[in-house]
Amino acid sequence: MLTAEHLTRRFGNRVAVDDVSFELAPGEIFALLGPNGAGKTTTLRMLAGLIRPSHGSISIGGETLDSSNAPRLRGRVGFLTETPGFWERLDVRHNLLVYARLHGLENPDAAVDAALDAFDMRSRARDAAAHLSKGLKQRVALARTLMHHPDVVLLDEPTSGLDPESAREVRDLILRLRHERRIVLVSTHNLDEVERIATRVGILRSRLVAMDTPSALRARLFGVRVRVVVRQHGNEFVDVIRQAGFSDISANDGSLSIAVDDATSAAPRIVRALVNAGADVQAVNTEKPPLEQVYLRLLDQEVRSPSPARDFGESGQPDATRP
Amino acid sequence: MKRTVALLEKELADLRQNPALFMPAALTGFFSILLPFIVAIIIPQVTGERLSDSSDFQLAIQVYRDQPSLRQLDSEGAVQAWIFQQFLVLLVLTPVAGSMSVAAYSVIGEKQARTLEPLLATPITTFELLAAKVLGSLVPALLLTLGCFTCYVLGVVLFAQPGVFRVLFTPRSLGIVFLVGPLAALAALQLAVCVSSRVNDARSAQQIGALIILPIAGLLVMQLTGSFQLTAAVIALITAALAAINAVLMLVGIGLFDRESILTRWK
Repeated sequence: MLTAEHLTRRFGNRVAVDDVSFELAPGEIFALLGPNGAGKTTTLRMLAGLIRPSHGSISIGGETLDSSNAPRLRGRVGFLTETPGFWERLDVRHNLLVYARLHGLENPDAAVDAALDAFDMRSRARDAAAHLSKGLKQRVALARTLMHHPDVVLLDEPTSGLDPESAREVRDLILRLRHERRIVLVSTHNLDEVERIATRVGILRSRLVAMDTPSALRARLFGVRVRVVVRQHGNEFVDVIRQAGFSDISANDGSLSIAVDDATSAAPRIVRALVNAGADVQAVNTEKPPLEQVYLRLLDQEVRSPSPARDFGESGQPDATRP
Repeated sequence: MKRTVALLEKELADLRQNPALFMPAALTGFFSILLPFIVAIIIPQVTGERLSDSSDFQLAIQVYRDQPSLRQLDSEGAVQAWIFQQFLVLLVLTPVAGSMSVAAYSVIGEKQARTLEPLLATPITTFELLAAKVLGSLVPALLLTLGCFTCYVLGVVLFAQPGVFRVLFTPRSLGIVFLVGPLAALAALQLAVCVSSRVNDARSAQQIGALIILPIAGLLVMQLTGSFQLTAAVIALITAALAAINAVLMLVGIGLFDRESILTRWK
């Protein structure tokens, strides 16, 4: 378990991170979203034991991080920094070997071999780090981050600047970590990536503006809507749907969008009403506004009313107050 | 300790890939060796004048011929012995000059190359990190000193009068090369690494660390002018002082090394 309680970090008069709390369980992939300067990297650095919080505490596996145990607890964390940071003149193998030894691994050579194999880098092991492409460097950086099998994996912009294929490899790897029951915290601007991998999302703007699963955040902001595609014009069936007990309906040429409380129970009722009214139903699905819309709306709300109350879902914080 | 060794090996491997870094040290070593040969061997050969004929060296002749191990030297040999021993202090500068640029770049170089953050995210402690950084500069510098000293001895054996080389194997000479030199280098390097962890420009660290050269140069001048003699007792005293300075510098270095500032304030 990784727990952050009331994490606050000030730099002079500037508050970079303000009263951030969360608890992450093994197997969870938590995505930290936020604009530049929102405090994402500072939060990660505090969790990695690199900088101390001005206020609040962090515990890893039930052990509270402090200056006396920081070196040891850093060994339980894997931190992928924003830039890979390799000793460019040394080869890939040597770079990894130094870290294997710094982590005190029992058999550093075997650990490096395993990491090279796991990341399909064996053939490039003797290449100087300077000669690797950005994608390969990121792959080696991930190998370095995970080589000591950390319980907590912190990834700062893991796919930034990568081509789509390399980015997909990284995403696959993050998903693999979930199955290995690691705690994964990803800081990113890539909302599509978050949609694909995150089990929970936290939106940070110094303070944690909102935290929940992507679907719960979406439902809270936009409600749940069922979209039905029909062969006829949607307007022909608005009254039918209204009679079935739904009031928020929009229709256009070939579809209807209906606000519902619970898509699972509402969809059969809607389809039944439409079919009885002679509609040729072609498709039914739950509308999912892009996460980007969720993100922008939450940040917009935060800018308009930066109140201390924040939006945490059931899986988030105890003080589940809406903004 | 294992982590210090791991990082030290990395430092040395990195240096092997960039041997030009030690060019200033090699040049310093070369000229440190060359200078006394010019004074004691080449100039008398070219001018045809014996150094022992000059009244400036009479005291040296008297002092050096009184030493039991050097009693068989003639006047010219005694002057040569005096010169080769006095200039030995220059060899102390070799490790300092050699390692200064490496040490000055040690912490700030990691920061500039963006390698410091992943390094600090490992279990390495500040002491382990600083020890590796200091030793990473010191070890090659000491090897260079040893090489220079060997060449110096060989040169004296080959070109100076027979028996002069014995002056290089007195406790005083060996103390200068193998105690004062390394300890002075260690102090300079620690100072440079301390400064390297506080400034955001390697040149600042190099210049401040180079201050250690001043007292060494002062020692040489005082010796040559006869106002001060590096006796074995004085060398023991300097050794003890340098050891104490090094212990203090290590504590100060650990105190000054602020991971947070390095990560958050340097850009």
